[in-house]
Amino acid sequence: MEFEPYQIFDESVSFEEKALNIFKYQSENNPVYGRFCKALGIASSINIAEIPLLPIQAFKEKEIVTSKKNMSADGYQFFQSSGTSGMQRSKHIVVDPDLYKQSIFDGMWEFYDLHDYVIWAYTPGYNSSPNSSLVWMLNALIEREDSGHSKFLELDKSLLQSEIDKIRASGKNLMLFGAAFGLLDLAERSNVDLAKDTIVMETGGMKTFRREMTKQALHEQLAKDFGLPLEQIHSEYGMTELLSQAYSRGSEWFDCPSWMHVSIRNPENPMQEVEQGEEGLIGVTDLANFYSCSFILTGDKGIMNAENQFQVLGRWNPKNLRGCNFLIDQD
Amino acid sequence: MNETMENNFQDHIQKVSQATKEWLQPDNLSLKKAIDKTVEEGMFSFEDIKFQIRTLKQKVDSGQVEEWAKRVELSEIKNSVGQKVLCLHAGNLPLVGFQDALGTILSGADYYGKLSKKDPYLLSSFLKMMDEVDLDIQIQYSTELADFKDLQADKVLFAGSEESVVPVQEELFKLNAVNDNTEFVIRTAKFSIAYLDNEEPETLRDMIEAVFRYGGKGCRSVAVIVSPFTLSKVKCHFTDYVEEFWLNNPQLKKPKENLAYQFAFNKAIERDQAWLDDFLVQETDDFPDQEFVLNWVVGDHNKVKELKSRFGNSVQTVYRTRENINGIKTEFLSNAQTPDLWWEPDGIGVV
Repeated sequence: MEFEPYQIFDESVSFEEKALNIFKYQSENNPVYGRFCKALGIASSINIAEIPLLPIQAFKEKEIVTSKKNMSADGYQFFQSSGTSGMQRSKHIVVDPDLYKQSIFDGMWEFYDLHDYVIWAYTPGYNSSPNSSLVWMLNALIEREDSGHSKFLELDKSLLQSEIDKIRASGKNLMLFGAAFGLLDLAERSNVDLAKDTIVMETGGMKTFRREMTKQALHEQLAKDFGLPLEQIHSEYGMTELLSQAYSRGSEWFDCPSWMHVSIRNPENPMQEVEQGEEGLIGVTDLANFYSCSFILTGDKGIMNAENQFQVLGRWNPKNLRGCNFLIDQD
Repeated sequence: MNETMENNFQDHIQKVSQATKEWLQPDNLSLKKAIDKTVEEGMFSFEDIKFQIRTLKQKVDSGQVEEWAKRVELSEIKNSVGQKVLCLHAGNLPLVGFQDALGTILSGADYYGKLSKKDPYLLSSFLKMMDEVDLDIQIQYSTELADFKDLQADKVLFAGSEESVVPVQEELFKLNAVNDNTEFVIRTAKFSIAYLDNEEPETLRDMIEAVFRYGGKGCRSVAVIVSPFTLSKVKCHFTDYVEEFWLNNPQLKKPKENLAYQFAFNKAIERDQAWLDDFLVQETDDFPDQEFVLNWVVGDHNKVKELKSRFGNSVQTVYRTRENINGIKTEFLSNAQTPDLWWEPDGIGVV
């Protein structure tokens, strides 16, 4: 029987079975991924550990589409990464936006009771990008919530105590989404008393970059400036090329929804996973990428713990492989 | 200036030059032993070491030590006598630290060298020779950084990157090897760019040497070729010369599995490429961030300038085969792996 896209959410089917079905479908029907597998000599009947991960740069070079059969002829949804002019940007064609929507909602439901939250989104730098997957996701979350209090916040405006009080009066909590440094600006500008169970959801990105800071320091600063306990500062790990998100809830470790799986790969041989606790490239199997490519090798550096949680340690920087480069532990 | 004093420094230069010449003599058993050990332990190929030593010998025999001193106007008054210079040598190619060591000693400074564990024998045989000459300067070297504890160096020379600079500096401060007044000279160049505008056999041989010598690991090695020709046009011709080069200079270090991954990625995105067993040539103007990969870019002089500007401090040298490229400093491609002793890493003279 043919594997149906919405079966990715079916927990009665194992992740492995779903992934192998999708691998077969994509390696046979996605021209880019098919050529990639063929060049590596990977046949379709393999086990899950042998599925090759397509380097994420492919989304900058080609349209990564497995099937266009459900796409509208007069236009289709696509997401594009942000970037300055002249910079190559990733493009992710979304054949079935409803699949993305379900991935967003079900993914959040695994970690949060969405009924309890009003969604506010502060996304400077993204608002002018009509094809931002983050803005699309936030819009979906805001539209879904029915109290009338969820919204995108106006840029360069402070938070208002009266609006926060209205959320409190409605019996809901606030979940405030925002790009890393945009949130810092917002916190600095605002003098409000947030309820202690407010969640600040940092979505990564450096759109209003103004300083160098570690993620840990950023979260500590956000907790201090918003007057919240550190465990209320959460993170979302997502990107244009993925249709699922992982979440960290008050620590630096991320959890994936059940149809998303992260592995840490050896940069010298991405077919291999590194030992637990070792640094490597973050590989993502995102079954929600049913119509594009579910098996992605990111350019991010990460590590994994025994609970299958992962940490993002920034960008993998291979720029120093050439030329003289004195390294204490090697030279 | 006092003539005797001037003569003293000239004497120093002469001694350094003479000792360097003696070190490079074919009957120097200490160097021979160092070469044998380096080859035996699989650090570098015999052919690469021989090439490096032959190049240095040509330069030294033609009087470049004295010429270098003259170019930088070393004298009894202008010198680095009394300065403690700590050189942290990398080990990506044989004797990569030779220029820093020779330049430091030639300047009259006290030389302290942290030798690379990846190339510990060749440079130490040179330093041993220098130490045996009555030079009236300190010469100390070790493969252990801890041996420079409490040095309080006036200057530190090393090649690094954004990631390596801070840990190295922290370690040096921890050892009290440096202080707040220590000057750090840090090189960041990683690779070179060449403009290829003809397919003459001599040009192609120079290009192959510039790309493939030392497995492409030097910062003077060409990692990006800009050419009006497409890769598919020159691929076969180019491959013949590569095979000829490898026949005479077998590549010791082999690429990791990720090169096959890159090959598959290029196939996936339909990027033109040539797989040469131990090297991958691919048509892209991306930053060259992988070992054993040569990026081929179709373009003209303006493309060379654009790439040089885009890749910034990572670019060591831009090479040309014929006419100059207006607006940027270039060197001849034929000199890529045979630079003069006074060539400037990162555009900054050693002495």
